[in-house]
Amino acid sequence: MDFGMDEQTAIVRDTARKFFREQCPSSRMREILATEEGYSPEMWRQMAELGWLGLVNDESYGGSGGTLFDLFTLVEEMGRALLPSPFFCSSVLSGPLIEEAGDQDLKKALLPQMIRGEKILTVALLGGEGRPDFDDPTLRAHPVDGGRYELTGTRLLVPFAHVAGGILVCAKIEGAASDGPTLFLVDPNTDGLECVPLDTLTKERTFALRFNRARVDGDRIVGGLGQGGAHMGHIWPKATVLKCAEMLGGMERVVEMTVAHVKERHQFGRPLGALQAVHHACFEMATCLETTRLVTTQAAWLLSQGLPAAKDLAMAKAWCNDAYKKCAAIGHQLHGAIGFTEEHDMHLYSQHAKASEMTFGTSWHHRSRVADELGI
Amino acid sequence: MRFTFTEAQEAFRAEVREFLRSEIEAGTFSTQCGDLIQPGSREFSQKLAERGWIGMTWPREYGGQGRPYVEKAILMEELFRVQAPIGYHFLADRQVGPALIHFGSEWQKEHFLPRIVRADEGVAFCLLFSEPNAGSDLAGVTATAVRDGDDYIVNGQKVWTSAAHAADYGWLLAKTDLDSSANRYESASEFIVDMKTPGITVRPIVNMAGQSHFNEVFFENARIPAKSLVGEENAGFKQIMAQMDYERAGLERLMQNYPLFEQLKQHLRDTDPSETPEAFRAWARDQVAQLEIEYGIGRLLCYHTAWTIDQGKAPTAQAAMCKAFCTQYEQRVNDMASQILGPVCQIRRGVAWSPLRGDLAESLLWGPSYTLQGGSVEVLKNIVALRGLGLPRK
Ligand SMILES: Cc1cc2nc3c(=O)[nH]c(=O)nc-3n(C[C@H](O)[C@H](O)[C@H](O)COP(=O)(O)OP(=O)(O)OC[C@H]3O[C@@H](n4cnc5c(N)ncnc54)[C@H](O)[C@@H]3O)c2cc1C
Repeated sequence: MDFGMDEQTAIVRDTARKFFREQCPSSRMREILATEEGYSPEMWRQMAELGWLGLVNDESYGGSGGTLFDLFTLVEEMGRALLPSPFFCSSVLSGPLIEEAGDQDLKKALLPQMIRGEKILTVALLGGEGRPDFDDPTLRAHPVDGGRYELTGTRLLVPFAHVAGGILVCAKIEGAASDGPTLFLVDPNTDGLECVPLDTLTKERTFALRFNRARVDGDRIVGGLGQGGAHMGHIWPKATVLKCAEMLGGMERVVEMTVAHVKERHQFGRPLGALQAVHHACFEMATCLETTRLVTTQAAWLLSQGLPAAKDLAMAKAWCNDAYKKCAAIGHQLHGAIGFTEEHDMHLYSQHAKASEMTFGTSWHHRSRVADELGI
Repeated sequence: MRFTFTEAQEAFRAEVREFLRSEIEAGTFSTQCGDLIQPGSREFSQKLAERGWIGMTWPREYGGQGRPYVEKAILMEELFRVQAPIGYHFLADRQVGPALIHFGSEWQKEHFLPRIVRADEGVAFCLLFSEPNAGSDLAGVTATAVRDGDDYIVNGQKVWTSAAHAADYGWLLAKTDLDSSANRYESASEFIVDMKTPGITVRPIVNMAGQSHFNEVFFENARIPAKSLVGEENAGFKQIMAQMDYERAGLERLMQNYPLFEQLKQHLRDTDPSETPEAFRAWARDQVAQLEIEYGIGRLLCYHTAWTIDQGKAPTAQAAMCKAFCTQYEQRVNDMASQILGPVCQIRRGVAWSPLRGDLAESLLWGPSYTLQGGSVEVLKNIVALRGLGLPRK
């Protein structure tokens, strides 16, 4: 057992924290959220220059060859800043997915562009019922002449589809010999694909995609027929722990903001923070944060070492969901009405808590995995 | 960074486990849960001593092994897993030794430490802190120790003293500055008291589990030599607070009912799914998985605290958080186990109908003490808020 942070990781953390403090203070974050794109192309370029967009991609594609743990730390800082950007869908999900599943030609064509920030990629994970269904997708691919396919079905909550240069989807090929779903890279401008903006709890740009016999070429299949579910399954645990990292970062900020607030604000002639009820509420927040840090770091470390981590990962996401939500609820309570305003940042974090709880598995889902691991 | 144990640590764990397995096989002790620390026998403690497992973290010059706290945590985890009977040396090992190493005189170190490490006869300790009117507010103790030539004369009453009836020595906190204007945090001192000293009376108190675990201890002009004073006169409160930082977050705070939780999981594995309603099973799986997560996190908190100490840092707020978290988890375990087992949870040991060997009923009876002894959850929360988060006192 060694809970110390490696030097390399500490450098990533310090650089990232400084970068986001300067480039993405809350005022700037709100400006970015209000733009049409929903991210800052300028900052995106800077992040590309820092080597972040391909942090864990192989150097032969222009990536930085970093570890999962470096990425964990970077994403934690993004969560703390609530950076509005396609980083998660592009660099966390798509980049590693292409590197894992794509053939050399595709990787050589696509990854350097993505890593240089010239092309944003996204992944359409959720079916029309709003559940990740890559094992058995509701999206259908109907083979047509010339080795092409027509995709039909709905995908929900697809981030940054409006600026994506490619959308990864799993679809089931009708009449195929292989049962498994196949991964396609879809051009967003293809005929028969409609992109409907969704107004959600967070202001993050996200869309419903309607595929109505949308055409894709056979050469846009990524990683072989019937292999899509397996590829997704392979990157899923890492993406899950990185979502935890983002949540951890958000929690840190909530605790910081709230503790600062109760020290500052006076009622009854003394700081709120001098009241014991407030002490104990702050204890709960601090405990949520500390425990989340330990349990998510553990899962990330195990995954980065290639060690078995199924149970630890399920523990991490289940705990993270509940702890972030609890922190956010206490944060709101201790802020009083000011935290209920548009102007205050508190709500950005509480909605982030809810949105991230809903991705990569709810607590019940993960506790059920833990129970499976226990054999009960 | 590393979330696994080294090969040497794994080997050490295996060695401890093997030792305990053979002891259990030989019928040396049962693995049932109840008391925080199973009352011990000196013979058992000696077996640990022979292996260098008492005073493991202490410097070699005092008979210790100079090993890291993380390794001690491994040892303790294995001992608590099977509720090994380590009562004879536990307090001396956890509390008395480290406190003496920090604050004790050379004479005290030489006189006590090697004997504790060997589990010699006559070195079982108890802790004489709490009083009828000084529990959480320990600075309010009113027992007095008044200097008289080469001695101190002790008067007053202590209470809730675990195992005082079996102790050779007591670790006492008593007022030494009796001036009423004295700062209450700077007027008490720590002493080591021979429990056979004339003027000391120990009276058992039966606890709600029906056991005489703790006691009242009365001092009536008990005369103790001046060399019993530990550290500085009137610095006792500060010394105790520092000692607690190091000794608060042991795995005993997580594992007092560990066998219960293990049996609960096994019970669910053994239950025929066709005999339980599906909804019940889904519910029980969810609840037990939640406890498993909490246990795993509690364990991380304990190891993290041990590691922090190994880094040479005081784990004040961290240790308080750890203990608060872990003891609350323990209470949820017995509650959940009772909800899963149903009405038979009430049946105590000794009959065939008592579920989980009767460990469940025992844990339900001991449960309220989990979040009290060694500092209540509320007081621990205060420590985290005030000292960890820097919130104002007023
Ligand atoms: C099984 C057992 C074994 C024990 N063994 C020993 C022993 O060996 N030696 C020894 O010296 N003592 C021992 N104790 C005593 C133990 O340390 C005390 O019970 C504990 O410190 C609480 O003190 P109290 O019981 O007087 O409760 P009180 O201090 O009266 O507290 C009662 C309640 O009020 C709350 N409270 C008190 N102060 C505050 C505050 N500032 N803020 C918020 N809430 C507060 C407490 O959290 C608690 O819930 C033992 C206790 C138990 C249950």
